[in-house]
Amino acid sequence: MNYILHLLIYFNIYAIIAISLNMVVGYTNLLSLAHAGYYAIGCYTYALVTIKLNMGFLPALVLAVFIAALMSLAISLPAWRFKGDFFVLVSLSVQVFLYSLFYNWVSSDSGIDTIGTLKNLTNGPYGIPGIPKPSILSIKFDSIGMIFILSSVLLGICLVISWNLLKSPWGRLLKGIRDDELLARNIGKNVRLAKIQVIAIACGMASAAGTVYASYISYIDPSSASLDDSILFLCMVLVGGVGNFRGPIVGAAVLLLIPEMLRFLSIPDSIAANVRLLLYGLLLVLVVRLRPQGIAGEYRVE
Amino acid sequence: MMNKLNYVHVKSFVGSMGHGSRFSKEPLVAEGIFINSSSYINAATVLSTEGLKKSFDGQEVLKDVNIDLQRGEIVLLRGDNGSGKTTLLNTLTGNLEPDAGTINIYANGTDEHFRFPRKWYHNLNPFDHFTPERVSREGIGRTWQEVRLFPTLNLQDNIALSYPGQKGEGPFCALIRSFKEQEKRNLNISRERLEKLGLKGREKSSADMISLGQSKRTAIGMALQAGAKILFLDEPLAGLDEAGIRDIIEQLKLIASEKQITLVIVEHIFNMPAILEIATKVWTLKNGKITIETPAQVKEEIQLTNGFRMLEWIKQVGGCEDNPVAVEERLPGGAILKKFALSGKTAGPIVLEVKDLVVHRGKRLVIGEKLPGGDIKGVSFKLCEGELALLEAPNGWGKTTLFEALAGLIPIDQGVIHFYDQDIEAMPSWERVRKGIRFLQARKNIFPGLTVKEMLRLTKDEALISSFPEIAHKKGSDLSGGERQKLSALSLLKDRNLRLGLLDEPFSALDKDGIQLFLDNIKTKLRDAVFFIALPYIKNDKRRIA
Repeated sequence: MNYILHLLIYFNIYAIIAISLNMVVGYTNLLSLAHAGYYAIGCYTYALVTIKLNMGFLPALVLAVFIAALMSLAISLPAWRFKGDFFVLVSLSVQVFLYSLFYNWVSSDSGIDTIGTLKNLTNGPYGIPGIPKPSILSIKFDSIGMIFILSSVLLGICLVISWNLLKSPWGRLLKGIRDDELLARNIGKNVRLAKIQVIAIACGMASAAGTVYASYISYIDPSSASLDDSILFLCMVLVGGVGNFRGPIVGAAVLLLIPEMLRFLSIPDSIAANVRLLLYGLLLVLVVRLRPQGIAGEYRVE
Repeated sequence: MMNKLNYVHVKSFVGSMGHGSRFSKEPLVAEGIFINSSSYINAATVLSTEGLKKSFDGQEVLKDVNIDLQRGEIVLLRGDNGSGKTTLLNTLTGNLEPDAGTINIYANGTDEHFRFPRKWYHNLNPFDHFTPERVSREGIGRTWQEVRLFPTLNLQDNIALSYPGQKGEGPFCALIRSFKEQEKRNLNISRERLEKLGLKGREKSSADMISLGQSKRTAIGMALQAGAKILFLDEPLAGLDEAGIRDIIEQLKLIASEKQITLVIVEHIFNMPAILEIATKVWTLKNGKITIETPAQVKEEIQLTNGFRMLEWIKQVGGCEDNPVAVEERLPGGAILKKFALSGKTAGPIVLEVKDLVVHRGKRLVIGEKLPGGDIKGVSFKLCEGELALLEAPNGWGKTTLFEALAGLIPIDQGVIHFYDQDIEAMPSWERVRKGIRFLQARKNIFPGLTVKEMLRLTKDEALISSFPEIAHKKGSDLSGGERQKLSALSLLKDRNLRLGLLDEPFSALDKDGIQLFLDNIKTKLRDAVFFIALPYIKNDKRRIA
């Protein structure tokens, strides 16, 4: 039972990320490889403010979303000028920057009690242990069931937000910009502002998913900000399909379940990790070859 | 009415133009205020420029452009290939920043001045950039020569999206859904606009599934919905058949007279007579300057010099007094294939034989006809040596698709293509080129990243470099439409190996001299090669065919 709940929590987290990344990939046609970085910003913000400032879950969540949205300018400002492959490279550099920030903000002579100081903000590769379980208004989310409820509620909120946003004139504007940016500018649309908005919202959402992850695992290290994770997130939306609401959710489920199946095949762990990567690659090739718009998508990423 | 008279514009350059503005000699009681005996305050000016300059790589395209556009005018902008029509259009719509000069926009009741070159501190202000979105909000709209809509949206959404200042375009209002009332109104206006454009019932059609004429009308509707008071149209009639041209002309007449929208139209020489019927003024762009002419003058000039008729030319080439013998074949879908036997030869060996050809694009059947039984009947025809074939087909018939299939660029679904008794339907496109089948594409027929010299080397046409001395070092992306067409056409026509030339609307974008050069080259090649030319379908055409 706990295993199922564990999977469902992971699914909720991945689904939030996939929904948020869908806004960027499916509605502005910008392939971002920096999403794990923003996800990790949520993890670290939650870990630090709950440990150091004793904040509750909600203020920590708001702060994490705000910081990630602010930091999203690092990819949204270049998106004014860079498109296609060049934007992918820009986002990759942001990804590498964030990862090395988390990895290297540590000093050699510091112990565990200096975590969160300017000298040792992230504790580098050693990670931050002992992250408290979330609590909202004296409700403690300390069991796996409660975390599942929390993550489901957050997923529900993110779904409503993205539904409301994308089924509105704003969503229509994004589709227009995705289709033909020059035309959108020539009918008087502020393309740059719209890009900043959508990337900030998406990064904020990924960061919110990060807070749930940190509070569930209670330990966080730079590996959650790794490029592998960014690629995994991008695979979710590309395999599931972009441009609608089913696609990213299907993608999150598929990419979560496939490696879980390996668990039952009694493959040694050291091999399983490689087999998993192999499967991701195979899946991506199959999707691109057989169904370029993704399993349940409606828009074809060029 | 809408125009607040808070700005007065003194026309200071009228005298220097040599041609006074049409309005300046008439009393301006209704439109302006008389201040003294030598100058007018003219409130009806919607756009003016002074001393506009623009050069690319040291080559001055616009030298000293002074224009003065009045409300409700319909202006035809003409000029030879490469004279800078598109540059001027791009500059006035904010897509290109001029090097020097002033642009004044009064279209929206406010006055905006852009002076170039801009001081560096102007660009620090993020709200004071010379960009298309800024210019669009000042009341200037444009359409493009090619179809430019939002392809994944339906027509209603295309129009509704263009509406300026929508509350729901901010994420916060979108989130709390406080845009519903405005959105409802917007959608109603959009539907009405589509109805006026003759697109009732197509509201939910996807923008990439409509015909060329419908696309062009939708593009006009979008610019109007975005609040355009001045509309720049880049070849609005290009590629349209007779009915399509009539529709657009009617629409343009309507918006100019009813809504007092000012129109500036760039049009190709073939379609100029249609525009001249409604134009009130002609701007001729030559050597980077604009001269103003009346439509009557230009009409006369075109009639004198533009004696080009395809049939006349064929007569002349064929050396016959009477109309040349033409064999007309009807192809499925309303296309007509006209074959002329030239140079006295009668039906030599068969060069190209197409039997039962069926081509799909995605799932859509393009070439071929669905029979009631469910079978698909393909297209069949043959071309013999010494023939010149004209394919006249309505928009969307699939002329380009047919040529692409013959050139081997897209796979065919059914049928046989014989070229000199050889089956070529499985042959890759490069093999077909070696056999002498060359395809002149209507668009995308150059390499944008290469210079002209490099392109000609690539196609092994070094000998042609001397024909393009002034553009030899230009990059493909910097060439004007006419230059591109000339370049790719000559490269094809100088091919010694040429046996079958597939020319897709080869005359569009070419000016008079360009067409003449093109035809002269075809003529010299007729002895060895067969030409298959696709033209837009024009019923009872007085302008082109007969």
